[in-house]
Amino acid sequence: MNLLAITAETWKTVGIVAGIFAGSALLIGILILVVGKVFKVDVDEKVTKILENLAGANCGGCGCSGCSGFAAKLASGGGDLSDCHVTSPEKKAEIAKLLGVELKAEEPTVAVVKCNGGSENCGEKFEYKGNPSCASCASLLGGNKLCSYGCLGCGDCKAICPENAIEVKGKLAEVDPDKCVSCGSCIAACPKHIIERIPASAPVYVACSSKCKGKDVMGVCKVGCIGCGLCAKNCPHGAITMVDNLPVFDYSKCTGCLTCVQKCPRKIILKRDVPSAAQKTEA
Amino acid sequence: MGTFIAIVLAAVLTNNFITVKTYGICPFLGVSKKTSSAVGMGVAVTIVMALATLVTYPVYTLVMVPLGFGFLEIIFFIFIIAALVQMLEKIIQKLSPSLYNTMGIYLPLITTNCAVLGVAELVIGDMSQFLNGASMNLGWAVLYALFAGLGFTLVMIIMSGMREKLNCYKTPKALAGFPTAMVTASFICMAFMVFTYIQI
Repeated sequence: MNLLAITAETWKTVGIVAGIFAGSALLIGILILVVGKVFKVDVDEKVTKILENLAGANCGGCGCSGCSGFAAKLASGGGDLSDCHVTSPEKKAEIAKLLGVELKAEEPTVAVVKCNGGSENCGEKFEYKGNPSCASCASLLGGNKLCSYGCLGCGDCKAICPENAIEVKGKLAEVDPDKCVSCGSCIAACPKHIIERIPASAPVYVACSSKCKGKDVMGVCKVGCIGCGLCAKNCPHGAITMVDNLPVFDYSKCTGCLTCVQKCPRKIILKRDVPSAAQKTEA
Repeated sequence: MGTFIAIVLAAVLTNNFITVKTYGICPFLGVSKKTSSAVGMGVAVTIVMALATLVTYPVYTLVMVPLGFGFLEIIFFIFIIAALVQMLEKIIQKLSPSLYNTMGIYLPLITTNCAVLGVAELVIGDMSQFLNGASMNLGWAVLYALFAGLGFTLVMIIMSGMREKLNCYKTPKALAGFPTAMVTASFICMAFMVFTYIQI
């Protein structure tokens, strides 16, 4: 068809169609505008500003659904800034300024796996051949480790870690403190609840989570805490208390003298490789 | 009653939007990783389908056909549906933030969803075959759209359930992820093809 053959009639139809579209576009546009005005949602400017300053990792370590949820919680006066472990101190100071609250000085923390019972130290109850996930494994009789508190080593923490800071060697997860940002994702993901935060400068940590009595622990794990309490008795600074057959450290009192490391008959209190700058001077 | 059953069966099973008509494939493959999001998407699509039909059917029969520009249906329906979804999103956000968080976030994804446009097109065209002799009206149109949406939700839930279950098994590396989803989708479609032999 030749372009010139288009008659005036066709042009008229095109004009009418264009007119109809322009008219209805205008109508619908006005309608959307009116609805938008009537149902306007007031977005709190504070929330957007807080959100801008948060790390944006959306790790869920604070217990909220994501950074936006945490920002809304902070803006409404709930929650605590220290619940977020990923945001840098400078950004946190900005948020504290926005909220009009004093920023509490806090020490950086890292996550540690409180278990040393790899496959060479702690045996297996049964052979697990299912889905390679700790959550699935733990749903079968609490997992296939002889110790009911031990690391299952299927690597749920490794899978969820946003920083790739976790390695699983010989059925035992290990956190690289240099990479760990202490977001708390792994703490929430571990079905055995054996990952915990400790201060980044902590000189030692307890690599066992077993609350069983000494005799029961002896039977299942070569490196399990038997709850003898020698560490607590011998600590010159009173930094250790025994709770549920496990030593609990008060890191504010610990000076890093390593007496507990030497006294522990099971060698479950492990010395950490703390960067010298962060290490406390011995009192 | 016969017409009612015929429409429901046609919308949900024999002419299911995803498996038989292959409409709405992008939410079917894209939002079916988790059952919770599949349900949210399904509910959003169902509501938008019913609402869109409620608006487009009268607009078509009462305005467009009498004025003689019924041939502009597709472009006009997209126009109306997109505007409708935008308004719906704002209204839900204002009236019920919790509903907005579960369902409303899927609304922008379906402004120009082919399942929604498809139902608006079907009720003015092919739908007479499901009517069992009754004459077409707005009630049947909205009913069909509603149950077509429910059929969509049904398939979304089946698909997401299977994909969640499949996550628990080791799949060959070459097939892991999306290829498995495609294979799953084809099996669901084949299963639904059986329903097309139902004679009403």
